[in-house]
Amino acid sequence: MSTTQGPADSRTSPEMEDLEDLFDTAPCGYVSAGADGRIIRANRTLAGWLGHDVAVFSGKRLQDFLNIAGKIYFETHFAPLLRMQGFFHEVALDLVRADGSTLPVLVNAEERRDAAGQLRFVRVTVFNATDRRRYERELLQARTALEELNRTLEARVVEAVEARLATEDALRQAQKMEAVGQLTGGIAHDFKNMLAVISAALNLTERRLRTGGDVAPFILAARDGVERATALIQRLLAFSRRQALVPVPVDPNRMIAEMVDFLRRTLGNGVQLRTELAPGTGQLLADSSMLENALLNLAINARDAMPGGGELVIATANRLLGVEEAAGQRVAPGPCVTIAVTDTGIGMTPEIAAKAFEPFFTTKGVGQGTGLGLSQVFAFARQSGGHVAIRSAPGEGTTITLCLPQLPAEAAGPAHDASGAEILIVDDDPQSLSLKVEMLSGLGYAVHLARSAVEVQDRLASGPGIALVLTCADMRGHGGRTLAQDLARCRPDLKLLVTSPAAGAGCPDHLPWPAPLDQLAARLQALLDPAR
Amino acid sequence: MDVLERNNVRVEGAGPRTMVFAHGFGCDQNMWRFVWPAFAQGYRVVLFDHVGCGGSALGAYDPQRYAALDGYADDVVQICRRLGVTDGVFVGHSVSAMIGVLAAEAAPDLFREMVMVCPSPRYIDDGAYRGGFSEAQIHELLAFLDENHMGWSRQMAPVIVGNPDRPELAEELTNAFCRTDPEIAKRFARVTFLSDHRDALPRVRPRCLVLQCAEDVIAPQEVGEFVHAQLPDSRYVLLDATGHCPNLSAPDETVAAMTGFLASPAA
Repeated sequence: MSTTQGPADSRTSPEMEDLEDLFDTAPCGYVSAGADGRIIRANRTLAGWLGHDVAVFSGKRLQDFLNIAGKIYFETHFAPLLRMQGFFHEVALDLVRADGSTLPVLVNAEERRDAAGQLRFVRVTVFNATDRRRYERELLQARTALEELNRTLEARVVEAVEARLATEDALRQAQKMEAVGQLTGGIAHDFKNMLAVISAALNLTERRLRTGGDVAPFILAARDGVERATALIQRLLAFSRRQALVPVPVDPNRMIAEMVDFLRRTLGNGVQLRTELAPGTGQLLADSSMLENALLNLAINARDAMPGGGELVIATANRLLGVEEAAGQRVAPGPCVTIAVTDTGIGMTPEIAAKAFEPFFTTKGVGQGTGLGLSQVFAFARQSGGHVAIRSAPGEGTTITLCLPQLPAEAAGPAHDASGAEILIVDDDPQSLSLKVEMLSGLGYAVHLARSAVEVQDRLASGPGIALVLTCADMRGHGGRTLAQDLARCRPDLKLLVTSPAAGAGCPDHLPWPAPLDQLAARLQALLDPAR
Repeated sequence: MDVLERNNVRVEGAGPRTMVFAHGFGCDQNMWRFVWPAFAQGYRVVLFDHVGCGGSALGAYDPQRYAALDGYADDVVQICRRLGVTDGVFVGHSVSAMIGVLAAEAAPDLFREMVMVCPSPRYIDDGAYRGGFSEAQIHELLAFLDENHMGWSRQMAPVIVGNPDRPELAEELTNAFCRTDPEIAKRFARVTFLSDHRDALPRVRPRCLVLQCAEDVIAPQEVGEFVHAQLPDSRYVLLDATGHCPNLSAPDETVAAMTGFLASPAA
């Protein structure tokens, strides 16, 4: 190894000249350092990278061209390493250029010793590591980002689920409001008729009073109109109330029978409604208002599919869902109840039928439907552990079948068996009172009435068979809650149920009002016959 | 955990007195491989790794305990107590020279002599004091470490150094310095280069030898002279060796200076 610098002098052979060229123009930096660490020679490649003349390196040490961290690490780590093992490989360092900027490099160093083991010089090779350092930095950043991503994953999942639940809740409410809108249009003229009946009865009563005749038939007629209108209003309110899904045992035949009047009004005169309710149809576990909503949506769709009129058939049946079919629908096999809604309308092409359950898909004109009706039916069926099927062809009508898991017989118990148990209703709102009377009578209970808390003692005295008091929480004067507390103290043998529009979570005797008939029946039954 | 296991303590040789070798920032007890055999005949030689370095128990690294040099000094005291060291010789390289000063102050019976190889009580310049580094330079070093630039060594050593035909190369590198956890090395660098224990020097009771190298960028000559001037009883030797590790680059000269000092009578 020559210890001179610069181009080969006149004494060098062509071979030597070739080696000098190789040394100077190699694609890596070369440094030769003596045993004392001082640089004997550096090649032109390194000098070019650092913006120095090759002569600058002579007599300096490699450390002199490192940044401060490199100087320290070289002295504390790499110089000892070189001395201990005779080499180091691919050490990442930053060289400082003449203009003060830094050049990321990878440095190799190897001691060259003579036969006697004496250190002759140190060969240092330097590789430009600008790209590599950038990749390393990007890799470290990506790793940090990934760690951050993993760390926050759980929180983001929770957030997404909450947002999804909130959206679903809003969608359910929107679907109900749409149904209410449809209903309102369909029954407005019913209200008009009821008001006409009441108005006429009042006119006739006035006239009869002047002439001194019997007014009883007219009062009866007016009351009938009021009660029918009240029932209708309650039904609308029940639909529009925002509530969480509360699955309860539901008797589908009873529910459909109770909806018939109401559906007839919605469907109008052009559509004949017929039910085919199979005797012995099992009970379901479902949110009753959502099931009513689903049936209403199906009926409205059917009506709209029959612009020229037709027939709508609602049929129920028990069915055993086989393993294969259940797997196809991704539901559990076993006994289920089907509710099929069939119309004789225009029907659908296979393409439309395939899209019918998609949200916002509608064949109706702007302003006539949001396309949410059937998607609500689909979502409800899925949430209740069932599925929904569509069978349709253009010109041949449509059948949509809800298939919902049947409640096991032991869980369902017999349908409402009021056995004439006596209930005292306390309510100072005549309409609410009237509705409660209708509902309880319909359920087979014997009903006593009190229009204020004051009347309660008299009624209890005259009705020793009264087993339960159904009171309204917000009565004028003596409140229903206070009454319930008094009764609990004086008559611990009496069962109590307090209705109020406000949420009453945590109160075992509270029933949100108005309540669907099923819920009322279930609560009464549970109170009066807890063993069942 | 037993301190001997924690600090990867190795005991060699035999003699009436004990010589304890402490390595500095970077590497481990291997720093002394060319020096300690020269003393194994006359001394019981104790070698160890600071926690976080070499073969020490990395799990024993407690950032609180090692947030200052006192934690490392306490380890030295614990090791010496465990081995029953009294009136021994402490040999500390670089930052460990100051760790020895703190240990000797805490437990005055441990050492009668101390050998300080390239010591520095403070690395940053301070008024008239020349530590060798400006504050900006030390912060540049710490920022450089924070950037995890050296992190490649542990993460990527198998890829970069990995030579399927010669796995022993990777093994050597790994043993020498890659085994140091980069996070711990970063903290040790911070503790070392921000330390200032100049005030402890006048209180040192053992007789001291200050070994100074020429052209040491970490502990320049002025610093060695300052240490010597501050110590109540010291001898100063400027070695021919250059750099910061005469124990590796000039072991014979280092051993000769130590032997001469230890043979000389106390003042």
